[in-house]
Amino acid sequence: MKPARFALERPRDLAAALALLAQTPGAAKVMAGGQSLGPMLNLRLAEPELIVDVSGVAELRHAGRDGDAIVYGCCVTHADIEDGRAPDVGPNVMARVASGIAYRAVRNRGTIGGSLAHADPAADWLSSLSALGAEVEIAGPSGRRRLTLPAFVTGALSTALAADEILVGVRVPVMNPSSRFGYVKHCRKVGEFAHAIGAVLIDPETATGRAVFGAVEAPPVVVDDARVLFGGRIRPAFAADFDAPAADGALARAGMADAVDRHIHVEVLRRAAAQAYALLGSPSRPDVRSAA
Amino acid sequence: MSGGRAPLSEGVGARLPRKEDDRLMRGRGEYVGDIRMAGMQDVAFVRSPLAHARIRAIHVPEDCRGRVFTAADLDGVKPIRAVSGLPGFKVSEQPPLAVDKVRQVGELLAICVAPTRAEAEDLATRVTLDLEELPALHDMLAAREPGAALVHEHWGDNVYLETNVNIGIEAAFDAPIKVSRTISTGRQCMAPIEGRGAVVHLDRRLDQLVVHTASQMPHIVRTGLSECLGLEQGRVRIVSPDVGGGFGYKAILLAEEVCLGWLALRCGHPVRWLEDRREHLTANANCREHHYEITVYAERDGTIRGVDCEATVDSGAYSAYPFSACLEAAQVASILPGPYDFPAYRCRTWSVATNKCPILPYRGVARTGVCFALELALDAVAAEAGLAPEVVRLKNLVRPEKMPFDNITKKHFDSGDYPEALTRAVAAIDAAGVRARQAAGEADGRRIGLGLSIYCEQAAHGTSVYSGWGIPMVPGHEQAGARLTPDGGLELRIGAHSHGQGLETTLAQVAHEVLGVPVARTRLVHGDTAMTPYSTGSWGSRVMVMAGGAVATACAELAERARLIGAHLLQADPADVRFEAGRVVGPAGDVGLPEIARIWYLRPQDLPADVNPGGLEVTAGYKPQRDSGTFSYAAHAVVLAVDPMLGEVEILDYVIVEDGGVLVNPMVVDGQIFGGLAQGIGTALLEEMPFDEAGQPLASTLADYLLPGACEVPAPRVDHMETPSPYTRFGVKGIGEGGAIAPPAAIVNAINDALRPLGAQVLRSPATPRRIVEAVLAARGAPEMTRDAA
Amino acid sequence: MNAPVRPPRVNVALAVNGRAVAVEVEPRTHLADALREELNLAGTHLGCEHGVCGACTVLLDGEPARACLSFAAACEGADVTTIEGLDDDAIATELRAAFNREHALQCGFCTPGMIVAARDLVLRLPEADERRIRLGLAGNLCRCTGYVGIVRAIQSVISDRRAKGLGPTTGERGLGPVGARTGSSSARAPVAATQTTGVAASTAVAVPADFRPAHSFDQSFEVGFPPEQVFAFFGRVEEVAACLPGAVVTSVPSPERVEGGMRVKLGPISATFRGAADVARDEAAREGRIRGAGADGRSGAQGEVRYRVNAGSTPGSSQVNLTVGYALKGPLAQFGRPGLVRDVAARLVAEFAANLEARLAGRPAAVDAAAPALNPLRLAFDLVRGRIAAWFRRVARRGDASTPRS
Repeated sequence: MKPARFALERPRDLAAALALLAQTPGAAKVMAGGQSLGPMLNLRLAEPELIVDVSGVAELRHAGRDGDAIVYGCCVTHADIEDGRAPDVGPNVMARVASGIAYRAVRNRGTIGGSLAHADPAADWLSSLSALGAEVEIAGPSGRRRLTLPAFVTGALSTALAADEILVGVRVPVMNPSSRFGYVKHCRKVGEFAHAIGAVLIDPETATGRAVFGAVEAPPVVVDDARVLFGGRIRPAFAADFDAPAADGALARAGMADAVDRHIHVEVLRRAAAQAYALLGSPSRPDVRSAA
Repeated sequence: MSGGRAPLSEGVGARLPRKEDDRLMRGRGEYVGDIRMAGMQDVAFVRSPLAHARIRAIHVPEDCRGRVFTAADLDGVKPIRAVSGLPGFKVSEQPPLAVDKVRQVGELLAICVAPTRAEAEDLATRVTLDLEELPALHDMLAAREPGAALVHEHWGDNVYLETNVNIGIEAAFDAPIKVSRTISTGRQCMAPIEGRGAVVHLDRRLDQLVVHTASQMPHIVRTGLSECLGLEQGRVRIVSPDVGGGFGYKAILLAEEVCLGWLALRCGHPVRWLEDRREHLTANANCREHHYEITVYAERDGTIRGVDCEATVDSGAYSAYPFSACLEAAQVASILPGPYDFPAYRCRTWSVATNKCPILPYRGVARTGVCFALELALDAVAAEAGLAPEVVRLKNLVRPEKMPFDNITKKHFDSGDYPEALTRAVAAIDAAGVRARQAAGEADGRRIGLGLSIYCEQAAHGTSVYSGWGIPMVPGHEQAGARLTPDGGLELRIGAHSHGQGLETTLAQVAHEVLGVPVARTRLVHGDTAMTPYSTGSWGSRVMVMAGGAVATACAELAERARLIGAHLLQADPADVRFEAGRVVGPAGDVGLPEIARIWYLRPQDLPADVNPGGLEVTAGYKPQRDSGTFSYAAHAVVLAVDPMLGEVEILDYVIVEDGGVLVNPMVVDGQIFGGLAQGIGTALLEEMPFDEAGQPLASTLADYLLPGACEVPAPRVDHMETPSPYTRFGVKGIGEGGAIAPPAAIVNAINDALRPLGAQVLRSPATPRRIVEAVLAARGAPEMTRDAA
Repeated sequence: MNAPVRPPRVNVALAVNGRAVAVEVEPRTHLADALREELNLAGTHLGCEHGVCGACTVLLDGEPARACLSFAAACEGADVTTIEGLDDDAIATELRAAFNREHALQCGFCTPGMIVAARDLVLRLPEADERRIRLGLAGNLCRCTGYVGIVRAIQSVISDRRAKGLGPTTGERGLGPVGARTGSSSARAPVAATQTTGVAASTAVAVPADFRPAHSFDQSFEVGFPPEQVFAFFGRVEEVAACLPGAVVTSVPSPERVEGGMRVKLGPISATFRGAADVARDEAAREGRIRGAGADGRSGAQGEVRYRVNAGSTPGSSQVNLTVGYALKGPLAQFGRPGLVRDVAARLVAEFAANLEARLAGRPAAVDAAAPALNPLRLAFDLVRGRIAAWFRRVARRGDASTPRS
């Protein structure tokens, strides 16, 4: 199980990386930590001619506040977020998601940008950051652009990234202090890719919320106005209002034909909402796994 | 070793830390992948992407000639044939490289050799295949039907072997309770963390093909490989180095070994093949896929009147050497009754060929499947009769006063108290407390379930059992060599292999018990056909009984020779001296083994004139008084919580009451039980190799084929009973596989116990969240569920 | 024998177990192979080579990382510690004593990675309880011990250290992947991986006679042209193929047969299926099918497009009913995420239908929006380059050999 041949370049900066991509149209693949791409290469499922390894590019290894958002360079690792070396958008919000990704040895090299660019529907950042309203920053030969995650992710493992572009960062809005984030994933074992993810960002004070059904083998199903899932309004005691039939209908309309799948995804989202509600009382660190 | 310890504190029964740990913990083990030889090249194989196809052509590009070899190149190499002497068995011929047809995904088509594995894989992508696809058999029940496509055309059907036993089942038909269930176990991979692998070279001096291979049975591989390559057995040496887990997966002669043997002879430099994980999962042997139609007839008080069963085992495309394709299904018929005493029995079995990897006997072999089928059926009987599961079992378990006991299929139980084991397990798990908790309900909406299972594990069964199978391998006497070195150390030689069982320590303990040599001064030589006596190897939980008995016998003979030398040195009448804890003790003094060894090797002039010329080196053979096998057993009890909405299962408590006879090293035995339990949990909840309709295996990575991790396996509470076997040295019994037998039955019984109020049940392993949710929703009468409607 | 043409190697400088070393490896060589094969540090084991089992876990810049998912050339300048480098490490020494005492290993194959992971837990989480230890070990599989002894051993080392009042040890650490250093490449043209050019094999792929798709999708739409005109369009296979993203027709030897290929992309995975298709049409019923098979050397695909043209809801219009089905074989089928493949296929079919509709309506077909990397030029290049297999002959069954699947 060894990769097909490729050339590997380690550009010294972003400009060099972009230039490499521009010189090798369609033949190169950008790699950050390589924890998603690595298995595909070893299995010879992916056979790029050139790997552009950006893991050492200093300007992509930073995180910091920019206005009302935290901007994470694409090479910030899950462990950086888990350990708090990179700032969080709320109390133990992204840190909790990060700590549930794969395994520690993977988190030490796996990156937030690489994960999003890989766009595996079962991965954690895609669903959680969709709920948090994140945008990606993309650099290309003609400058930079920003896309919301729903605009960025075009399908399973597919994104709007052009062959000569690099996802350079993720911009995640800092959470309103009154809002709560619930995140539950359904796995058969710890560290496994999720079979269902539920993520909600709910602000009872403003009576607004966003909900995400993730790990649906396609881009996450984002309900931008979550009121439809809570009887048309978000009350302070919103968890009790969760409307399972409405959630089931949303999934059916999104194309999920299998009733058992819908049942599981609805239940996982219900629990995410319940978790967010429970967090109103305590800032504790709930287990990401649904069994706990 | 620590000084000043009483010698026998290292003998049989001592909880001794292992000698082999240190090098392994420092990364200084020597596994097959660690072997380096000058000029060594790597091999990758071109494997079939299709499950069933006729080979029209294999195109090797001109510039790859001499580095890529197909069946046409393998002159004089014979196919692997694993026959069985059972009447009606149909023989499969497995050519090392496919000829004419491929019968499973992953079957070998071409050998590619290059300086590195990556370059060998590059070569493999250059080979093009012209295959004519044939209908693939992925379902063993469909494969049994008349008119199904044929895996081996000349057979006329797809059945390796059908067996039929009926012991008066008709007498049970009027029983008031009749419970029928369709129960099945998923197909699994054994998944040792180290794959298989071989490094092969020609030793020109000895004109020997030296095959380093990760094997549980080096001598059997030597026999089989010699036959396939047409070499005298003396021209083949097998060395099995440190092996990273076996579990049955490495008890086989590999087509890859045959290919590498041929290649090393042809190309004159060492060659290496290391199985990667995708090869393990998609191309090499599977295990466990059983299907049962089982009916239990019982009285209202739970007394079993009879058991009637039809069992089918998916044996895959070829009969694997040496165990054959029929061992598992045919074994079902003889062991399904388990430890229960009942009067009527019928069982038909089919070993079916399909377009999947061959199966191999995985830890527990057929016992895990039969335990699953019968124990689930007994819980159904209990539910039907309105009795507690333990009541039904206690009603039917063989009573201790009947030991030794010949059961309905003439299995000879040597000893044991099965009702006691179950009673202890039920008490330890606090069944009454669990029932009270169930009645109270859980705040989080989960449901608590209690599950029991009990099994017996026939182990170390020998000639009298295996001669009837007629497979390429029948165990006879097991031999061991024991040699004192001039400095008073002890070397033991066995033909079986240690790959995690701790034999370097435990056989040293056995030797210490007899000979008194410190464990630290005892070295075990194993895994090399050039240095060890012939053995069928490590399988069937047999090594401690067989090799342990042989080591004890050899050491006893050594002690007697030392005693006679010692008497001479002490100038005493041999009748007046005794051998005791490593010393020869006479009326007026004693002499130790190191001194006796020094005299034998370095001062023969001091030896008595009539000294045994064999000296301080003995090879002795051993077989238990009765070789029908030892019967170890255990009762498992588990409490778990099922989330009926998501199907997630959390094990809350797990109790094992185990009787493995006399334990040589209780720490090592516990380790075997813990490890077996983890594998049993994998079988119960996680592990499955699914296939699609075209026979494509669908789990090619460990992200899809889920192995239990530290979070999925609890620390069980273990209680030991120690009923000695009356037939073996020290009263030991084989225990290596037992831990993996009972957990699927206990866990799925517990899941069904939890789901019973919802009217849901799961009768297939693994009990995945999806299967549990489907069962719950089906019981709820949810709308028609359609899979894959997209 | 043909002497192999060796692929180019690069020189990589590393600090391994405190010693500066340089290894010559291919860019594709992962760190574990570099350590094992080039430096003979065989204690780093390979159990899966896709990041799940943890046997290859080493310390990169002092932190655990997967040596199978780190390419050696991407670790230029990194500080690597293998199990062999932990001989004199204080924590590893305590762990080895505890592992031995608690019988935390049997075959020993997972043990080096386990010790590396355990050492990290001990240093990083001095307050860890049993549950936390188990979570921390989730990335290291052991098939022998059931983890009982391993967990106990780590617990005992942690509680010993806690009793001694030792806190967590966390070194200074910047953001970003461990083991990565600033690179040196400027924007010069990279060295391309030279792929050996193969000779294309027989292209005669027979089309399955009894093909039954494993997955299929239905689409229907109306166009404002009469049925006979629409049906005639479906007879021009090259035009139909132009609507299917990634498909290329290279020749049409007869009205019943087309040859060509299709490039399908699934994220970083791409497959170029080269083969042929049979065309069948029923003029009376205004229905037909295009059924093809292709292979890319390792994976294979079979697919069919069935269409039926009916009268539309208004005079002069047509309703087109499409059923597109496929089956995959080989590594792509065995890659255990069939749902992802289905998602890609569903999008391809939707785009195919939209392009058909547009073309029928006289509008230009949309560009490959959903599959930006489907580049017909590159496909043609691939066709020349080879690595193509023709292993999908599924001719009419022979009566004596086999019967249909149930």
